[in-house]
Amino acid sequence: MMTMSIFIGVAVLLVLLLLLLTRSEDGEESASAEGADRIRRESRDTLQPWEIILRIFSREDREFILRMRSPRMLRIYQEERRRVALHWVRRTSCEVGEIMRTHRLASRQSENLDGAREAKLLFQYLRLQFVCGLLAFLIRMFGPHALSDLASYTGELYQRLGRALPDGGVASHLATTEDTATR
Amino acid sequence: MLTMVIWWLCILVEALLLVRGIQQRLVRQFPIFYMYILFVFVEELLRFFVYRWYPNHYFNVYWTTQFLSLVIGSAVIFEIYRIGLRSFPGTARMTRFILLIVFGAIFAKALANPSESLFYWFANSSLELERNLRIAQALAILTLVSLFLWYAIRFGKNLRGILCGYGLFIALSIVQLTVMAYFWNDFKPFWSYVHAISYLLVLCVWLRALWSAQAVPEAKPAMQLEDDYEALVASTSGQFRRALARLGWAVRV
Repeated sequence: MMTMSIFIGVAVLLVLLLLLLTRSEDGEESASAEGADRIRRESRDTLQPWEIILRIFSREDREFILRMRSPRMLRIYQEERRRVALHWVRRTSCEVGEIMRTHRLASRQSENLDGAREAKLLFQYLRLQFVCGLLAFLIRMFGPHALSDLASYTGELYQRLGRALPDGGVASHLATTEDTATR
Repeated sequence: MLTMVIWWLCILVEALLLVRGIQQRLVRQFPIFYMYILFVFVEELLRFFVYRWYPNHYFNVYWTTQFLSLVIGSAVIFEIYRIGLRSFPGTARMTRFILLIVFGAIFAKALANPSESLFYWFANSSLELERNLRIAQALAILTLVSLFLWYAIRFGKNLRGILCGYGLFIALSIVQLTVMAYFWNDFKPFWSYVHAISYLLVLCVWLRALWSAQAVPEAKPAMQLEDDYEALVASTSGQFRRALARLGWAVRV
């Protein structure tokens, strides 16, 4: 029964890919040309994205809102910031997709096309898309500050543990562990 | 009776395909494919002749012609690869490499488990043998289609029709042969109908795609400034690194 499922699966996959082939004939090349232009335009202004990141994920705004002690304001802020952060992640994911598409279309005619390098780039691309997906999921579930909160909480916990144990036991233990790991 | 009608309809469509191929000069463009259609056309007539007047020999004639058509069909896959990737030497080289891996894996599996392999001709039934060979063809087409999709290779209406029709034919054959191998008794009464109708469907796909000739579109020259592949890879890799750094910043801010 298992073999039968595999064979039927191969046939179904083949039909699905052929359907994709009939649909994707014309659109990609023109879409990619536009995408490549957009990436070139945007990459000229490389400072802007960093500033955007600082604004979106900055804690200053949140601290300011928290100081106002208005639950309604806090709710609006969280809602808006989550939406903006999700938009930024989605845009980054689209840009990564455009970079890959532009590469594919430019490299396909090259005589020196190297399978191993293409596979490595594909792996990098998939990793980036995974990170984007994970980030979007975390932002949707816990808000844009979830990861930095988690990092600072871990740091705080570590410091508290260090203070609780006499003679800097944890710190020295961790230092030893790190030392062993680097060796 | 219905099977006979479909059978004659298939022969008619095959003849029409050949006539249109000659009229539109597609025969020159896709010689192996039209050789395949011609072979199938003659094969159908021969089978009909034997079925009608020498029914005792039908089994042998059926399987002999079936395997010959399978071999010529494999050559059709090679023709799709050759014409589709004519302007893409690097992609063609990579496809050859991947196909080599796919067939190498099939061959290695066959050597490792000879009792389950394609090469165990005599112990397995003809149906299983055909199914296994169709699986090998399906894997080759899957590899080709995946690369065509990934590198957005454009090959025009005619070649796309040949590929889609042949791919569909193989997929339908695998499903039928697999189902038959497991449920032969339940499936036997419907076999001739399903087989004939699915083949007619494939012929219709080919007839639609090959009714008139359409030139294979030339690929636009590379859009980036970098002519050098090394520089292109470095540029893409650098952009990915920057994107990853940006995402890392979002977490660290």
